[in-house]
Amino acid sequence: MRKIWIVARREYLAAVKTKGFLIGLIIAPLMMSGGIIAIATLRDQVDTKDKKIAIVDHTGKVADALLAGAAERNAREVYDETNKKKKINPAYLLEKINPETGSADRQYLALSDRVRQGDLHAFLVIGPEVFHPVKDKPEGNVSYHAKNPGLDDIRRWLGNPVNDQIRRVRLAEVGIDATQVKDLFQWRPIDGMGLVELNPKDGTIRKAEPRGELTAIGLPMAVMFLSFLLLMMGASPLLNAVMEEKNQRIAEVVLGSLRPFEWMMGKVAGAIGVSLTGMAVYLSLGFSALSNMGTALDVPTFLVPWILVYLVLNICMFGSIMASLGSLCNDIKDAQNLTLPGILPAIIPMFIWLPVVKQPLSTFATVASLIPFFTPILMPLRMSTMESIPAWQPWVGLAGVIAATLGVVWVGARIFRIGILAQGKIPSFPELVRWIARG
Amino acid sequence: MTPAVELCGVTKSFQQLKAVNDLSLTVPEGSIYGFIGPNGSGKTTTLRMIMNIFYPDSGSIRVLGRENGGPCMEQVGYLPEERGLYKKMKVGEILEFYGNLKRAQNVRAEMKSWLKRFELSSWADKKVETLSKGMSQKVQFISAVIFRPRLLILDEPFSGLDPVNAEGIKSAILDLRSQGVTVILSTHDMSVAETLCDYIFMIFRGRKVLDGTLHSIQDQYGDDTVRVQVDGGKAAIPDLDVIEGINDYGQVQEIHLKRGGDPQIILKALLDRTRVRSFELTRPSLHDIFLRIAGPQAKENHHA
Repeated sequence: MRKIWIVARREYLAAVKTKGFLIGLIIAPLMMSGGIIAIATLRDQVDTKDKKIAIVDHTGKVADALLAGAAERNAREVYDETNKKKKINPAYLLEKINPETGSADRQYLALSDRVRQGDLHAFLVIGPEVFHPVKDKPEGNVSYHAKNPGLDDIRRWLGNPVNDQIRRVRLAEVGIDATQVKDLFQWRPIDGMGLVELNPKDGTIRKAEPRGELTAIGLPMAVMFLSFLLLMMGASPLLNAVMEEKNQRIAEVVLGSLRPFEWMMGKVAGAIGVSLTGMAVYLSLGFSALSNMGTALDVPTFLVPWILVYLVLNICMFGSIMASLGSLCNDIKDAQNLTLPGILPAIIPMFIWLPVVKQPLSTFATVASLIPFFTPILMPLRMSTMESIPAWQPWVGLAGVIAATLGVVWVGARIFRIGILAQGKIPSFPELVRWIARG
Repeated sequence: MTPAVELCGVTKSFQQLKAVNDLSLTVPEGSIYGFIGPNGSGKTTTLRMIMNIFYPDSGSIRVLGRENGGPCMEQVGYLPEERGLYKKMKVGEILEFYGNLKRAQNVRAEMKSWLKRFELSSWADKKVETLSKGMSQKVQFISAVIFRPRLLILDEPFSGLDPVNAEGIKSAILDLRSQGVTVILSTHDMSVAETLCDYIFMIFRGRKVLDGTLHSIQDQYGDDTVRVQVDGGKAAIPDLDVIEGINDYGQVQEIHLKRGGDPQIILKALLDRTRVRSFELTRPSLHDIFLRIAGPQAKENHHA
């Protein structure tokens, strides 16, 4: 134990004192949240060039309403409210085009060419039967043609005025004047709220609080990315570190003083120290940022010890895997080849987290989160959702992770013991099995 | 007195290769024991087994009176042949690290005196990567002795050292011995084995072929060697029936006599042909014995 501690101290200082650690500490969360930041910045960097859209209205009853709607929108949204000279959004300039019923395809080709030449941004075709569409008949469709229609804000904007007008026409057909009904087209969103709670002390009823996307996805996502990031920060450098010790002939000098198992565990303990340091930094930064923003992200306190315990076990598990793989490598190339298989089990949860968060009680989520390699990431993820998952599951998951950790450490230590002094090529799989069996 | 190291019928194989074959060896406490043998003959494997880094397939090893492993290893210093240091660490930090691993008392005081002895005092705060090769070898030596071991195992301690540094290490080894430390060292330098070691052990193809003091080993071979200096060198030495082989050192030739061969015949033949500057009847050198066992001629005999 004493030797493990001495090694852990050396490993920890060696890792933390490097510039790489400091840079990694800053860069890793930037990269992870980089996507979100990039989207946020890009959303503000709107292209303010006016957009010309041709409307081919086969009904003759929709286009004028759209023109009116666009004019209203342009008056409201194109220029900054306070600074009337500052353009913040493009104006939508709609152009009504009479349909050529005989040669519609030819007309659409000509319009498409105009889009290609940059004269038009897009063109909208409103089918003749749009008020009473029949299934499987294209006459009832509304189609938006552009270079990149899938992610087009204008297509999304057009949805409302087009449908409002369709409804207005349908009402008129049964003799109702739409202008008579105030708020006819006012859309009500549905707010996500938590459950109402009774305060057992004073018997008062605590009102439900809004639970939007941020609490539903934001907290679990933060928990998961943090766990993953800290795991990578602590465990994955072990592979290269061990490879270097082997390569630079440090291994045998150290092995003169302690047993391979003590050495490996010391390294793993050092990795845990590195991760916890990272965790302390991120959590204090995160909480101070949140309180500065005035958003008190309501982190359930019961979750924190679970995250910690799972994280520590996860580092034991992957630290042993990475250290034993490192002991098989003779050079950087070997290390590169073995890194991916080593961390793959830790990456898989990152691919399946979304369905798990959406339906944390599904069989898929339950089974996936009870697979020991995934448990440390997926179980806290499920626990941080609004659903309450069965109380036994975190404990069973924990038992599984402990068992798996012991197994992986045992196997890893046996590989490490032989690998660290073996020279030559990476052993084949049957050879590895023989090492493990013989000890 | 219990021996410092005792090997009893030790065998170790790597797949088909028997690296060490039924080896028994007793290293008395307080002695310097030299391991010699050609590359790949099993020296390092034996040392690693004594260090409990490799486990023997069969046989037993006792170190400092105890079955191998466990707390007695805290009293064993080890300098492996393949050695390196953490490049980014400072000299002082790395010595403290190794000292603490072995429960050293007064690591800093020991470190200070050793660094001073090897004229490295000003380097304690420098990173290892700034050291020259000789310096880092000396730092490695210190890391093996900083905790005052009772047994010191040195695999090729002099390889790559210039004579000044080699002398420094040698005198340190002798000082440790005088303090009662047992030293096992392997070497390819026969003069080191002859002059420094109390006992010499030679291993060849995994088997013990020599074991004892230099005198007792030479006694096995008797006065069967003639060391000559003659005008014309080796070419001037006639081909005689009594000669088993000639070891040519350039200026000096060692003639190995056949069993019962009379050296007078050689002297007479030489005087007939050339000027003899020196003619000495002697015991074979360790170098010569080594070659007789493991040299090309011996290999031919072995294969025959």
